[in-house]
Amino acid sequence: MEAIEKLTRILHRKNVEWEIYWEAGRSTSFRAERERLERAQEKFFSGIGLRIGLNGRVGFSYITGLPKDEKRLTELVKRAEKLARVGSKPFKGFPEPNGKFPEIKGLYDRAIDELDFDEAHSLAKEFVDEMKGIKGEQEEYTLSGAMSFGTVNTGIANSNGIEEEEPRTGMSMWVYAVKKGQRSGSGYASQTYTTLQGVHEGEELIRRAMEEADLSQKAEKIEGFSGEVLLEPQAVEALVYLFLENLYGEGVYYSRSCFSVDDLGKEVLSEKISIADDPTIEFSPGSYSFDGEGVPGKKKALVSTGELKSFLLDHTYAALLGLESTGNAVRDFRSVPKIGTSNVLVQKGEEKLEDWEGIIVSKVFGEHTANPVTGEFSLTVELGYVVRNGEAKPFSGNMVSGNVFDVLRKVSWVGKEVERRGSFYSPKIVTEVRLV
Amino acid sequence: MEENILRIAEKTAEKLSVRYFEIRISRVTTTSVLVQNGQIDELSNNVETGIGVRAFKNGWGFSSANDLSRAEKAIKTAMKMAGVSRGPEKIYLGDPIKDTAFLLGEKRVDEVDISEKLEITKLANELLKGENVKNRTTSYGDVIVETTYLNSLGSEIRTATSRVRLRLSSIAFEGGKTGEYWKSFGGTGGWELIERVELEKWAKFVSRKSRDLLRAKAPPSGKFDVIMDPELTGVFIHEAVGHATEADAVKNGESIFAGKLGERVSVEELNVVDDPTLPGKFGSYAYDDEGMPGRRVEIIKNGVLNDYMNDRETSALLDLPPNGHGRAQSYAHQPLVRMSNTYVEPGNWDPEEIFEEVKSGLYMIGDKGGEVDVTTGTFTFGAKEGYIVENGELKAHLRDVSLSGNLLEVLKNIRAIGRDVKIQYPGYCGKGQWVPVDDGGPHVLTRALVGGMR
Repeated sequence: MEAIEKLTRILHRKNVEWEIYWEAGRSTSFRAERERLERAQEKFFSGIGLRIGLNGRVGFSYITGLPKDEKRLTELVKRAEKLARVGSKPFKGFPEPNGKFPEIKGLYDRAIDELDFDEAHSLAKEFVDEMKGIKGEQEEYTLSGAMSFGTVNTGIANSNGIEEEEPRTGMSMWVYAVKKGQRSGSGYASQTYTTLQGVHEGEELIRRAMEEADLSQKAEKIEGFSGEVLLEPQAVEALVYLFLENLYGEGVYYSRSCFSVDDLGKEVLSEKISIADDPTIEFSPGSYSFDGEGVPGKKKALVSTGELKSFLLDHTYAALLGLESTGNAVRDFRSVPKIGTSNVLVQKGEEKLEDWEGIIVSKVFGEHTANPVTGEFSLTVELGYVVRNGEAKPFSGNMVSGNVFDVLRKVSWVGKEVERRGSFYSPKIVTEVRLV
Repeated sequence: MEENILRIAEKTAEKLSVRYFEIRISRVTTTSVLVQNGQIDELSNNVETGIGVRAFKNGWGFSSANDLSRAEKAIKTAMKMAGVSRGPEKIYLGDPIKDTAFLLGEKRVDEVDISEKLEITKLANELLKGENVKNRTTSYGDVIVETTYLNSLGSEIRTATSRVRLRLSSIAFEGGKTGEYWKSFGGTGGWELIERVELEKWAKFVSRKSRDLLRAKAPPSGKFDVIMDPELTGVFIHEAVGHATEADAVKNGESIFAGKLGERVSVEELNVVDDPTLPGKFGSYAYDDEGMPGRRVEIIKNGVLNDYMNDRETSALLDLPPNGHGRAQSYAHQPLVRMSNTYVEPGNWDPEEIFEEVKSGLYMIGDKGGEVDVTTGTFTFGAKEGYIVENGELKAHLRDVSLSGNLLEVLKNIRAIGRDVKIQYPGYCGKGQWVPVDDGGPHVLTRALVGGMR
């Protein structure tokens, strides 16, 4: 690409270390309100993020667009150099080329990249027609939702010889259903995909959102309770991400995590729990062949049968902690690399939990009010069920509280069916919590 | 360039029979500094320009580009898209507005050298030091957004808005226990807002609080009388009332407040206002992102639901006077109905009298954010700390407190509203897009569900 070649030539003339990260993409989305396609949008974006390393310091700056204009590119270099001189975080150099990048199938779908506006519009229209069809004469329901398509080409190059580019595509849908009556209920369902195959699941999402609205309307608060409950994947997701905040290398380095390097290898959760981060899953929205610093994506166990195996690391914090990057630098061109997750997998167990009798917590909200360091949480139950003699009665409005470390230590059963929610994969689990 | 863009837009609109269009061209200058444990973790300074075009025909079309050479493509795309949508029949148009509004404060942040911004962030980080404090994080951010707004009515509005924010955070560890506390300062204005922060006093306060919380207890659980401090009242009213009175949720029939204008929804003493015209607050603005002047909205007046926050679309549909609450995260986002500065107006109670009123309950302090389901009215919000209240007196110190309730119940359970209003809690509100907001109020006594560990 001309802009990148020119920028590389400017940087070669200087005695600095450098890293260029670029993106160019497009997103198209359609928004339905009250079963009508009310809004359509298309966004174009591109930009270059530049990091310059100078005398053990690093500076970052970006520009939007992919300009070929030498003056703008030179100004970008000057700005990043100036910031490197003022000083930034401890700089441990940029990564060196380290093995081959994995080949991951299904991250790019030409059908999405080449989808023209009229085709995208007709897919969105089908989705909305499905909403109308499924709603039919049931005037008590109101449905809204969206369908989006995106394509982005991402590239990285640095002064150590890393150079790679990868196109990726994405598609997502969500549905929000409201059911009116004496009181109202709401339901929500969403999914993301890397290919167009997902469009066929629109109908299922609509039905799921409507079913949930139906149950939510009937749900009442239940009596307080302390003991074993079954958590469905959305509730597991809330707790697992709360736990994972303690595994970010930056938090470990700056003592914001409750773990230190000495805790690697220790038993921290129930032996029934294994959690991995894996950017190499085919056809998965969280996948990539290289991270935001050009480190190859690889699968790593974070917790294996309860034992802490790895932190999530980028190049800098891995070096500061005396470890190796796990390929978890995430970014866009506007930002410096930050540590993040790719696809998170909670490993399946062997239990058939379909016949569970007792309390089931399906959906929760308020995760950001929890304290990841102490692990304490109180979340509002958006939807749950009490199952007695095979009959499920929905409930909501209770709070579910506990300590995430305790709760994940007390896991007694793990289901054998894994559900995907975007880039999170999990079975149902049984553990002990308090319902207020 | 602007004239050329407008000419292309007018020509395309005529050709495609577009009824209305608007264009936002923005130049955004940002600085961000992050210091952790004395080390500079992030330092950046950037400028970007971009264009967002929105068109209305049978529905809305929107297109944006962060590269102005794509302006013509963005105009044509937005207008073509408006033609295939099937949205509202009408929108509020009104008269053209030609104006210039600069909210840049007394000392422009882009005239302050980045080294000065770095120094103050480092100093604040140093001041947070204290026994058992293992993590000290301070962050500084400023942004100047200069926008030219043009629309098919002939409006031409030039705005320049500057916002600054400084955040101090401290985490203490001792014997396996953890205490965390933070505080944010800032508003709409210039560097003077940072110079006015009593850095030493507040850094010591934040650091001490994180240590105090080491000895704080987990809260009890159940339904309690709860006194909220002004900061928590802010997040409570934002979640419990604000989101449900954003008129897009009302229009779609999603809000529990839909069709309830004129009805009593709370105790008579409650007055809730959203006001983007408050000087210097983080959520303030002169014009919204639809080129409408921001107006004060009396949402709840003497306990009666009085008005919704609206945009060009919802004001026409609900037949309400427009009040300028169409806000977008940036030029690359479509405006949505959003809050600005939301607060509870003063009541008649002295804060001391409110405490005397509580025989057995909880005092909850500070904002850890919240969330609401506007359809069912269930909401949750977190407090940074709390105290048990017995016979009006503060007893045990509490940490990690989350509360929940049904908004209609909690509003009707309000027993006392203080006179001591504060609106100084800059933050961001997410609704698919992030916009700066502020909120607050006085001490308020109500009942809510506390999800404690005991």
